[in-house]
Amino acid sequence: MSQEYDLTLKVSRYNPDIRRSWIQVYRLKAGRILRFVDLFQKINDEQDSTLAWRSSCEHGQCGTCGIRINGKPLLSCELLVEDAVRLFKTQTFTVEPLTVAPVTRDLVIDMEKAYEQVHFVKPYIIQPAPEHPEGDEYRISPRELEAYVEATRCINCFCCVAACVTQKNYLGPNAVLANIVRLMDPREMAKQERMDILYSEQGTPRCRTARACSFVCPKEIDIAHFIASAKEGNLK
Amino acid sequence: MGSKLQIDSILRPEVLVIGAGGAGLRCAAEICERRQDTSVVVVTKVYSPQKSHTAAAQGGMAAVDPNDPVDKVLYHMFDTWKGSDCSSDQNIIKKVCESAWEQILWLERRGMHFSRTEEGRIAKRPFGGHMLNFGEVKAFRACYEADRTGKGIMDTVWAESLKHGVVSLNQSVATELLFRNGRCIGAIVFMEQNGKFVAVLAKATVMATGGKTRMYQVSSNCRQNTGDGLALMLQAGLPVMDLEAVQFHPTGIVGPGILASEALRGEGGILRNKDDEPFMERYAPTAKDLAPRDLVSRCIMTEIREGRGCIHADHKLPHVWLDLRHLPEHIHKTRIQEVCSFFCRFVGVEPQSQLCPVTPTAHYQMGGAPTNEFGEVQRDAQQIVPGLYACGEFAAASLHGHNRLGTNSLLELITMGKVVGKRVSAYLDEAEDPGNLPQDAGQHIFGQFSDYLETQGRGRYSEIRDDLRILMTAKVGVFRNEQILREAIERLKELKERAGEIELTSKSLVMNQSLVQLWELHHLLDVSMVIASGALSRKESRGAHYREDYPERSSEFQYHTLAYMTEFGEVTLGRRPIDMSIFEARGEHYEKFGIIERKY
Repeated sequence: MSQEYDLTLKVSRYNPDIRRSWIQVYRLKAGRILRFVDLFQKINDEQDSTLAWRSSCEHGQCGTCGIRINGKPLLSCELLVEDAVRLFKTQTFTVEPLTVAPVTRDLVIDMEKAYEQVHFVKPYIIQPAPEHPEGDEYRISPRELEAYVEATRCINCFCCVAACVTQKNYLGPNAVLANIVRLMDPREMAKQERMDILYSEQGTPRCRTARACSFVCPKEIDIAHFIASAKEGNLK
Repeated sequence: MGSKLQIDSILRPEVLVIGAGGAGLRCAAEICERRQDTSVVVVTKVYSPQKSHTAAAQGGMAAVDPNDPVDKVLYHMFDTWKGSDCSSDQNIIKKVCESAWEQILWLERRGMHFSRTEEGRIAKRPFGGHMLNFGEVKAFRACYEADRTGKGIMDTVWAESLKHGVVSLNQSVATELLFRNGRCIGAIVFMEQNGKFVAVLAKATVMATGGKTRMYQVSSNCRQNTGDGLALMLQAGLPVMDLEAVQFHPTGIVGPGILASEALRGEGGILRNKDDEPFMERYAPTAKDLAPRDLVSRCIMTEIREGRGCIHADHKLPHVWLDLRHLPEHIHKTRIQEVCSFFCRFVGVEPQSQLCPVTPTAHYQMGGAPTNEFGEVQRDAQQIVPGLYACGEFAAASLHGHNRLGTNSLLELITMGKVVGKRVSAYLDEAEDPGNLPQDAGQHIFGQFSDYLETQGRGRYSEIRDDLRILMTAKVGVFRNEQILREAIERLKELKERAGEIELTSKSLVMNQSLVQLWELHHLLDVSMVIASGALSRKESRGAHYREDYPERSSEFQYHTLAYMTEFGEVTLGRRPIDMSIFEARGEHYEKFGIIERKY
């Protein structure tokens, strides 16, 4: 039978119209299988329509709903009430926006600034390899692809950026990873430009190998492993 | 309050693209490849185009590889025609199916990470309704990137748009289309992050706002899919086409309605009822679990109605089972990893050892803005609207008719995005400058927003939203009949009235989600009214539109429904003929493209 929980959410709020920040406490009852995005909707529906938050696909594929619950960066669409209670051993949760960009309102942040780092590493193929002599697609063996396919699963939710111990002058784990994908992609010829990005002052030299990125990644990508391999010049 | 609302600035790109998902950005990329330095502005409701709902598509993109020794483009064309229940347009079928492989190569050469065969070629999997030899055996035709094909496409077209310097207005909505002498010259865009209105004046405007199924209780669509683009067309006095054709995907994960890809059945998954019976064998002896979506959804609902379904303990919703337990470990780990994780995460089920609860989920609109084969938006069956184009799920050219085959949507959005890009590029060379901002620009949306901000009343947004979802699911869902459709139309009028009595707590324009949600709610109501009216008028069953009181397809309704609605509830219906140019050309196997029987 479905269990109900009495939850307390302490939510960071900010009103840009009067430039005021405060913590607002919401108390609500919720079934075990509700997600945190459902809780925010429930607050909007039943208690406070002004609480601003953000989501889109609501099943962990788009990375829009990144947030901090009790300090941990995660996707609010993927956190179920019963899992949160088990994970944090409490029914009281602090809810804060990710720290990766300035706050627009409440839990909504100005992600355009954060995204600039990803744009900077040019996630496309800069200089494509010549076509296969027999035409059609470029040939990539499953083993070749396997070496970097996990890194292509990144959805740019920026949870890793929020968790990273290097907060300044760093491209961030997700942007570095996007660069690594194309370094490993046999269709990319502009390897030198990619190496220059990788080893630039804002690149891997700023990584302190704390592995926080891998720890929080909602897609369970071992980002730190990819970055460490890149640092050692060991990408294949 | 009204005086506060004003146009803050004017942008003058050559092209405005409204909706920056797969179709919109494929179109933008095509324009930039053909005409370097063309200025393109795209508008997206999400905070980066990369977040668009295209990224949630899972299974694959259909394309016949010319190197395939057994598959033929003609079979793909036939399957699409048959799947549509003889109501797609054959000129579009031909155009899209014939250029499918070329579009796969376009994506691959720009960096999409397709799954591979041992020889390093793009791998293919079977999908519902795609068969060899005119329906004999399943075809391996869906090119895929594991179970995240949409993400692969989205990442690729988004990165291409960055490469070409396409400018994106993020977290923004197009609120009003602008016209001069019948030609579209851009739109008024509301930017949520700073609460400002921008007028975008462009030579060409492309609409690609995607789907709209958020008016249903269980829906696979993202929060942003609220029919805004369709509502804008209706407001401008333009028609929408075949909206009664709503696709219910058979396997939504019970509760949130998250899509559990058809790829699961493509890889060998089997549907079972509460007695463990693989019931699809009874309904579709040849195609079985890989019958087309409309058919499988009706079978599941029939099983549930006849008492062979289950009730989910937490969500209290009826469902059947999807059995994946017999699939080899490597399939679980490499080809369906993402989807299986949804079952674990959202309903606590381990698909390698447990049965997965699934139920039909509102998934896709086959209809949309009517366009010709170049993606030019039509004013009626004969005339186009100069300067206005549409592609992707938002548009109906129509490739899908009244039922879409899996993997044909990603194919369509890429192909038609390209087609529109090509057409727009040619138009730009001859098109006149859009000129100055029309005098009355913005008056419509300012009027709407002022009403929303000034209304005092007792209407509750969440109640009306929930009532709408329950109503549409019960009365305009998988099964329909005259009586419940008439009830639905009356109830929608009530809901529209109540929506006019909602008082907003916050009057701010900056990131005020309740303001934008109210604007969206009106769109959902408008579009729902057109769906119900189209469904009422179509007294037959065709594809996803199923009437219990008229269970057979009828030659009387062998046309597309055009619907206009400038005043809520006052729906005017028209018709557009179905193109049968393949049949009429009398080439080899032309008889397969007549009005054929649809059995699987």
